[in-house]
Amino acid sequence: MGLRGSKPTFDDSSNVVYFIQIPLRGLRVPNLSPFPLKLETYLRMAKIPHESIMISTLSSKGKTPWIRHRGKDVADSQFCIEYLNKQFGVNLNEHLTKEQQAVSRAILKMVEENLYWVLVCYRWFFMNPKDMGLSQNIPSLIFAFIRRRVRKYANGQGMGRHSQEEIFHIGKLDLQALSNYLGEKKFLFGDQPSETDCSAFGMLAQFVFSNIESPHCALIKKEFPNLERYCHTMRNTFWPDWDQVLKGDASSTKL
Amino acid sequence: MRLTFGDTRLLALAAGAIAVGVVLFLNASRKQRKRKKLPYKDESDTVYVVQIPRGKKVPSPSPFPIKLETYLRIAKIPYENVFARKFSSKGKIPWIRHRGKDVPDSQFAIEYLNEQFNVDLEAHLTKEERAMSRAFLKMVEENLYWALACYRFIHDDVRKADYPSVIPTWALLLFGRRIKKYAWGQGMGRHSVEEIFHITKLDFEAISDYLGDKKFLFGDKPCVADCAVFGMLVQVVFNQTYSPHNALIKNEFPNLERFCWTMRNAFWPDWDQILAA
Repeated sequence: MGLRGSKPTFDDSSNVVYFIQIPLRGLRVPNLSPFPLKLETYLRMAKIPHESIMISTLSSKGKTPWIRHRGKDVADSQFCIEYLNKQFGVNLNEHLTKEQQAVSRAILKMVEENLYWVLVCYRWFFMNPKDMGLSQNIPSLIFAFIRRRVRKYANGQGMGRHSQEEIFHIGKLDLQALSNYLGEKKFLFGDQPSETDCSAFGMLAQFVFSNIESPHCALIKKEFPNLERYCHTMRNTFWPDWDQVLKGDASSTKL
Repeated sequence: MRLTFGDTRLLALAAGAIAVGVVLFLNASRKQRKRKKLPYKDESDTVYVVQIPRGKKVPSPSPFPIKLETYLRIAKIPYENVFARKFSSKGKIPWIRHRGKDVPDSQFAIEYLNEQFNVDLEAHLTKEERAMSRAFLKMVEENLYWALACYRFIHDDVRKADYPSVIPTWALLLFGRRIKKYAWGQGMGRHSVEEIFHITKLDFEAISDYLGDKKFLFGDKPCVADCAVFGMLVQVVFNQTYSPHNALIKNEFPNLERFCWTMRNAFWPDWDQILAA
């Protein structure tokens, strides 16, 4: 699994959005990284025609996912969404008030810049690699190499400096906030889904569907069951083909 | 066994090396003991806040000591500042010491103090408001922080920012190089200057839109998120007044500047007196 994979051929004259994600197909989630799952959920929610390509080519920023549209490469899932909103005249937050849009941004950032690092630290430092739920085994040398780099990043970001118990506690507080804000609602801001639902789902699906051996999964089942209910709602609404995606051909799926 | 002249010389060398080693060790221990003699009175209930010295424009060039001190002032918890370049067990500042216990990380310190002093600045909030408070806290400390750090240390000359004079320029520049490495790993450092400015603007907009005309984020009473927002925004509003972020706040989000003045007047009436001369 090299990280500088071959570049596929794109038809830059069409309006199709090529959605490129690294092949981290999980046994229980379409991608073990929350960001491709976020972006693909957005593409489905916004009904933007796209072609999913699973190759090992990272973006210009060295990350996954990225998109290509009419010859333009856009890196970073959030910049992709902003670009696509403009290109396709989409606004999944249109029905939100100004205050709700502000809260939407705050929740987005809590999920992607804090809860994400809880997920990363647990996956790479405290869990058994077999429990990651990857559809193919990572050779142990490569796993060790990636873990070293993740540790360096996590220490620089800050989360990596905390103990396992502290990281669990930080994750619990984030999950509690999400659960309390969601309450009985169908989606985060009511009966209509919005942009941040894509991100929240991308992240929560990792805890609820993939990391089933993790203490956070047990915590959600016991104390925040509405988060599990929410994941199923999102999955049933935007991923009716979830099981086929997991079982089927991982190289490309057309909408 | 009779010792030859060579053996004696070897023994003398070994003895000399051991003596030098012992002297160096004792000297290092003495320096260690001297460093440890910080003014803690562990039997009292005073909370010691360890942070770097005051700046000339802001009480700290870092947002986290200001967040923590503002919390202590709002909660009326007796505290004493210890201005020292002494980093916590996690390698950061600020940290606190209370009754002989060291607690690193501003947020863990606040949780500890809430328990010790039976404080809850969020008691008046609903469950949803507490959730939103957490979200804003994390947006400010895990996203906006990195955007502003990239500006201060990577895009601009860090020597323009207000730092206490005891921190030499070479230390600032070295820290800047470290921030650049950390920001790459965290993710913010991979974006361009314009992209990071755009991210900053969206965060400012969110705080501004949620604050609206309110006195504090959630009404008339401040909470921990207000302390975090204040600690971060004063770096733009009072410290780096030359920055494009300062102009952005003045032009597009004036209620953020108004908020900073409200917090400063309410909880830092001694602001001007405590700044470094």
